Amino acid sequence: MIDKARALKTARYGQTITVLAMVGLASVYVRALGFTPIERFQGPAQKILYVHAPAAWAALMAFGITGLLSLLYLMMKDRRLDRVAAASAEVGLAFSVVMLTTGPIWGKPIWGTWWTWDARLTSTLFIFLLFIGYLALRNAVIDPVVRANYSSVIGIMALVLVPFIHLTVYFFRTLHPQPVLLKPSSPSMPGVMVVTLLLSIAVFTVLYVGFTMQRYALGLLREAREEEAAHAGA
Amino acid sequence: MSGSGLWRASLAIAAKDIAIEWRTKTAFVSSMVFAVLVLAVLYFARDPTAVASIDIAPGALWVTFTFAAMVGLNRAFLLERENHALDGLLLTPAPPTAIFLGKVLANLAFVGAVEAVSLPLFTLFYDVPVWRQLPQLVLVVVMATLAFVPVGTLLSSMVVRTRFSESMLPVLLLPFLVPPLVGAVQLTSRLLAGRPLSDLPEWVRLLAVFDVVFFILPFLLFEATLDE
Amino acid sequence: MPPAEPALAVEGVSRRFGHRSVLSDISFDVSPGETLILMGQNGAGKTTLLRVIAGLLRPSAGAVRRLGTVGMVSHHSMMYDALSARENLAFFARLYGLEPGKRLEETLERVGLGRAMDQRVGTFSRGMVQRLAIARALLPEPAIVLLDEPLSGLDDAGARLLGGLLGEWAAGGRAVVVASHQLAQLVPVATRVGFLVRGRLAALEPLAGRSGDDVLRRYRELVADER
Repeated sequence: MIDKARALKTARYGQTITVLAMVGLASVYVRALGFTPIERFQGPAQKILYVHAPAAWAALMAFGITGLLSLLYLMMKDRRLDRVAAASAEVGLAFSVVMLTTGPIWGKPIWGTWWTWDARLTSTLFIFLLFIGYLALRNAVIDPVVRANYSSVIGIMALVLVPFIHLTVYFFRTLHPQPVLLKPSSPSMPGVMVVTLLLSIAVFTVLYVGFTMQRYALGLLREAREEEAAHAGA
Repeated sequence: MSGSGLWRASLAIAAKDIAIEWRTKTAFVSSMVFAVLVLAVLYFARDPTAVASIDIAPGALWVTFTFAAMVGLNRAFLLERENHALDGLLLTPAPPTAIFLGKVLANLAFVGAVEAVSLPLFTLFYDVPVWRQLPQLVLVVVMATLAFVPVGTLLSSMVVRTRFSESMLPVLLLPFLVPPLVGAVQLTSRLLAGRPLSDLPEWVRLLAVFDVVFFILPFLLFEATLDE
Repeated sequence: MPPAEPALAVEGVSRRFGHRSVLSDISFDVSPGETLILMGQNGAGKTTLLRVIAGLLRPSAGAVRRLGTVGMVSHHSMMYDALSARENLAFFARLYGLEPGKRLEETLERVGLGRAMDQRVGTFSRGMVQRLAIARALLPEPAIVLLDEPLSGLDDAGARLLGGLLGEWAAGGRAVVVASHQLAQLVPVATRVGFLVRGRLAALEPLAGRSGDDVLRRYRELVADER
């Protein structure tokens, strides 16, 4: 039986955390736009880095968490693990979309091209596609236990696959060298920018937690409603 | 069940699958027709004055192999759904691993047959010197096929129970095809140019490691797809 | 004298599908040589219960203890239509670790499929498929035999065959559970009857010489009680 009161409490905590993260986000962007120097070569467009990189980080983290929880679910068969994995996947998908849209927007003025098949970008594209596959499979299965089992299988395999994708593209590029690009986040970034970037990443992480909690709670409430409907019909 | 018992059960299941496919041939014919069409379309999908057929040949071969294989992968578990035959298998002492291995072997035979028939056609259509390094080419084909058939078999075991199984399998499987496909294309390209495999050791290694990981992992995960 | 160990023990078995509860806290034993009839409407959970007993479904709660192999005749044939009767049996025999050989032909003769041995199962009538399913269920000499509506689709000859087989199995010490609402042929060979009403075992009683109609009446009583 699903505890609706606890689900609602989780949702409220999630909302609070999200609001805090939003405030943090606003502060970070004030800092990024007003108090962080403009990058010499890339100009103001470089500031998208403070959205793109943390979004990529959040998407990657969400992906890893979904994969890890999938493995734990198969070992422990606790449905809560599956619910969090699913919530994480949906939030991760949203962050992937942000990452995939800000990437080209940033890339065009700087690299002169909307897209480039480098190892990092391609891996993140595949993470996006794997999230979609994961969620599509979930959507196609009705029984919750079967759905949890199937999701975990694909979640684990997807996690193991991504390093291979990365390697594939890396080998491909060393085989067929592309014209040299300006490396987006060169190690010689001045301290001020690094701090802004790290703050951004921290805020996005908190945002991820807040969103995932709310999505998890929403999932719980939906299940509770299905349960009630099933009992009413029985 | 002992090792040899597991092996015997798997062979029995694979033999049964092959016997049934041999009798009906529907999946094989569909895959072959698909393969011929893809080879033809890819041959014409270029400017022949700008792009030589040998340049696109490796890519065309591997797209054909993988897509034609996908057409037939669902066959393995669809067969067990009619009459709930899978329940019959689960009632026997044959362990789930044997069922999965049997299905993988049958799918390998199926995909292997499609590849064996497609390769001469490919040579014919694209006019490429396949014979010079045939053993090495066959090795690459074997390695790349081993890379995606177990994953495809595992995914099809799940997907056949869903509503849109025909379109779900490619959506889920395609990302897993990318490393072996890219690797196979690079190696095939070198072989067709008369170069040895040792030219590209990192790709051979990538393919080998991918084979091992994505052969073992589906076996470990299969039982989870049976649990109800 | 202490009671012999039951061939089959169902202990507190419950089963849910998603949010729907299909079986609730079912417990009973079946001894070797006993034949238990499971009565219940469609949707009462008979098929689900048999599948849990067979080990095809995991119970949501409770456990099933079996003292030996299970043979099952379900309302799906669990056969391959493209193969012949003989080929199907040979295949399953191999999976049971048996050498096919002459015994297959004898078994097929026994269930009346002697002349149709090499015909594709896809061409079989429902009755013929049932007979083949019975033959397959017997391959591993099971200690426990489960039958789900075995009489549906069987003609008179087939029904008599099944009646004879049930008698043989009881004499041979096999524990048999038959889910059915066609009682006439089963009542003479059964020892007890269990009544499944909306997923619960409403009653489990010795047949005590009752007729099929008596049992049906008792079932209706129990259904009315549950409302």
